[in-house]
Amino acid sequence: MRMHQQPAPRAAQSNTAHPERAKRHRRFNRFTAFAAASAAALLALTACSIKITSQPDPSIPKDTMLLAADKGTPMMEKNFNPYLSNKRVAASYIYEPLLVTNALDGKQTPWLASGYTLPNASTIDYTIRSGVKWSDGQPFTASDVKFTFDLLKKYPTLDIKGAWQHIDSMQVEDRGASGQHLVVKLKGADAPAQSIISLTLIVPEHLWKDQPNPDTWRNPDPVGTGPYTLGNFAAQQYTMNKNQDYWQADKIQVNHLVLPASTSQLDVVTKGFDWAYAYMSNVQGTWEAANPGNKYWFPPGGVISLVPNLSKAPFSDLKVRQGISLALDRDKIAGVATENYMQAAGQTGLLLPNQQDQLDPSIADQGIVKQNTKAALEAFAQAGYTQQDGKLVNAAGKQLSFAITTANGYTDWLRAVQEVRKQLAALGIQVDIKQPQPAGYQQAIQNGDFEVAMGGMGGGDLFQAFNNLLSSEFYAPVGKQAAANFQRFKDPAVDVLLDDYKKTTDPKQQTQLNYKLQQAVYTQLPVIGMYYGGLWGLYNTSKFTGWPDANNPYAPPQTYDSTPLLVFTHLKLVGADAQAGNAAAKEG
Amino acid sequence: MRYIARKLGLFVLTLWAAITLNFLLPRLMPGSPTDAAIAKLSQNGPVTAATRAAIEAQLGVPGGNLWDQYVNYLHQVVTLDFGVSYTFYPQSVSELIGQAFPYTVLLVGLVTVVAFVLGTLIGVFAAWRRNTWADALPTLSGSFLSTFPYFWTALLLLFFLGYVLHWFPTSGAYGPTASPAFSWDFTVDALYHALLPALTILLTSLGGWILGMRNAMIGTLGDDYVTFAQANGLKGGTVAIKYAARNAILPNLTGFGLALGGVVGGSILVEQVFGYPGIGYLLFNSVIGQDYPLMQALFLMITVSVLVANFIVDILYGVLDPRTRR
Repeated sequence: MRMHQQPAPRAAQSNTAHPERAKRHRRFNRFTAFAAASAAALLALTACSIKITSQPDPSIPKDTMLLAADKGTPMMEKNFNPYLSNKRVAASYIYEPLLVTNALDGKQTPWLASGYTLPNASTIDYTIRSGVKWSDGQPFTASDVKFTFDLLKKYPTLDIKGAWQHIDSMQVEDRGASGQHLVVKLKGADAPAQSIISLTLIVPEHLWKDQPNPDTWRNPDPVGTGPYTLGNFAAQQYTMNKNQDYWQADKIQVNHLVLPASTSQLDVVTKGFDWAYAYMSNVQGTWEAANPGNKYWFPPGGVISLVPNLSKAPFSDLKVRQGISLALDRDKIAGVATENYMQAAGQTGLLLPNQQDQLDPSIADQGIVKQNTKAALEAFAQAGYTQQDGKLVNAAGKQLSFAITTANGYTDWLRAVQEVRKQLAALGIQVDIKQPQPAGYQQAIQNGDFEVAMGGMGGGDLFQAFNNLLSSEFYAPVGKQAAANFQRFKDPAVDVLLDDYKKTTDPKQQTQLNYKLQQAVYTQLPVIGMYYGGLWGLYNTSKFTGWPDANNPYAPPQTYDSTPLLVFTHLKLVGADAQAGNAAAKEG
Repeated sequence: MRYIARKLGLFVLTLWAAITLNFLLPRLMPGSPTDAAIAKLSQNGPVTAATRAAIEAQLGVPGGNLWDQYVNYLHQVVTLDFGVSYTFYPQSVSELIGQAFPYTVLLVGLVTVVAFVLGTLIGVFAAWRRNTWADALPTLSGSFLSTFPYFWTALLLLFFLGYVLHWFPTSGAYGPTASPAFSWDFTVDALYHALLPALTILLTSLGGWILGMRNAMIGTLGDDYVTFAQANGLKGGTVAIKYAARNAILPNLTGFGLALGGVVGGSILVEQVFGYPGIGYLLFNSVIGQDYPLMQALFLMITVSVLVANFIVDILYGVLDPRTRR
């Protein structure tokens, strides 16, 4: 029986009893030291000399843009159905909306609609652009637009912008000289709904009408009106070519797009991308240093805020919210959270400087609340909290303490929360941090299962931003799911303002209502604005110029949704030989 | 025979427990698939109520009480039809797994076999030549490398060999414009892309096999029957392989069985680092997206493969070492 194997653990023991053990031990030590030293030397040596530079693929011609827009996971599915949440990003370079809205300031550019009027607050009259063709040569008409809306009505899962929550009915009118019109009747006085309905991407009736299941159809061979058509598709990279029949063909100088699937940050820096959308730590040292043409622009895309749960004490008390707001040093928070890329934000919900012209001039300091510890303590005192042994306590002697809920993995938010905790601790307030996974975070804020949460406000169309933030239409009691207004704000006076806004088509009155809504946010603190969330645009000027930037903020630098259409129609090729190449491509 | 029946019974019981846990665990996670989808979207800007409703309708999130869902799930398990994925909607789960499976099996499976064979051989050699450089070098470097977390090794290799020296491609399973085909060009391309992740797994797993085999081997080398064989004047190689290694390999074999079972799910981080489109990366995405159908199918694959591997090792053990049958 002893012939059978010995259990493994005994092996080591028999080894240590070896007579040569001491000598061997020394040898091992020397070897270890040698290995460690050489490894360290190697690391030190390489660390000094490493400089990551961008190495563009020489086979990519000058009229071709390398675009980090569509991150596969890691393979890409050939899904160009523009309404599915898992579509290819470039589906929105193929399908176009009626109007394109610049999310930085809410300004609209007429697109497949050459214009619109509001005869009254419950009617939108779109003029449908003439002379537009689908990329298969068929003419684009108002009936395509009507077909698209009918499709979204029939398949509500495709209506991702929610157009039919506002529309009652519509009809096409052919008015001869003034062209085809689409007249949309709204469910009631709802003028701002125009900004939502106009975002709908239009698809061709002649190809979509025979689709038995448009809600699961992957639309592998997309035909649209947009500036690009699909070229070669492989699971890890696809290309797009300029649509030669595009209705703005003369404005499109970038002839080809290449969209690879795997675009890690290292890839973005090293592979010579012309356009990318990515937050990059130390952007000067990485992206800018890699190539002389590399530039970045990080404009504000929203206001990152503390969202106090207004249906819970003590946050239902305005004085407590004022105290917290006054206690915060927003410049510090912005700096810590965003590596100083973004600025402190005001308490109006506006994105400055882009929405400067819509700011209520009567609000002090453009709405920016400065840290004022004395005023903060006064506000807290009015709410019944006083400092005692370095702690802020209520009448019963209980310290003011609460948890801030943020999503796990959003590192900038976490850094902001940690800074807030530090600043509030200085006043004697205890802050805990809760970090559920993103889905859990989403569930928590929707159900009101938080004391204070991190969240955003603002961006895009001003009315929609205020409506989502303040309307009691979205109010849900704690435990019930809210789709917006997560802080559970309810004020009849504000509802009247929003209602009036829906009823008016007069720009002057809109401006007045705008001001009043800003004042409501400023004085009632439904959420406490802290700093701007950035849009992380990285671009390269060696092949193309005309990018949006701080001096010419005609579009956000994002690569998704419809605003890239604005960018593509602004970009110019660099250099004369490139122009010649463009002409050759046109002939070919 | 009774041994096999007993093991089989245990196997079925474990399988049922695993399948049931696999059903329950994702449902205990906070947040629904819709929440996950919205959390993803909201990083690109505010998500309206309408979008939420549309996404909820698109995903068709499971309704009904837990029992109905469980019965439905068991039916899916039996028929191997796991429906449509949430994160990759409207692709079906079987389609996704079918795409990812070959890459993982070829990459991780092959490397696991190579690492086991290579590591075991080196272990035998090291034990036979114990206390010399031939022992110290593989043993030390093996244990050194296996202490690194393997994603760290992956990152180092990726950075130096991929980005600094440009010797290897930095992501993907094949070149950007290639498409899978049974051709010489594609095979070479795919192997080239698999080399760096394969090297990572090999480097970090080799040490374990070497050490395991070496130590077990040293144990058997000290046994009387080996001394007896040597005293009988048998050749060194014969003693090492036929006498010592044959008995010493049993614990390593157990490990190998488990490692093979773990191939399916065992490479999440390596696949993540190298953007390799295998099961590991798919699993990662399914968890992030709270993709119940995909998650369940993948977890099921992993559990079943580990259980089956375990079962086979059990049976094999019974054959190799009759004492375990008692």
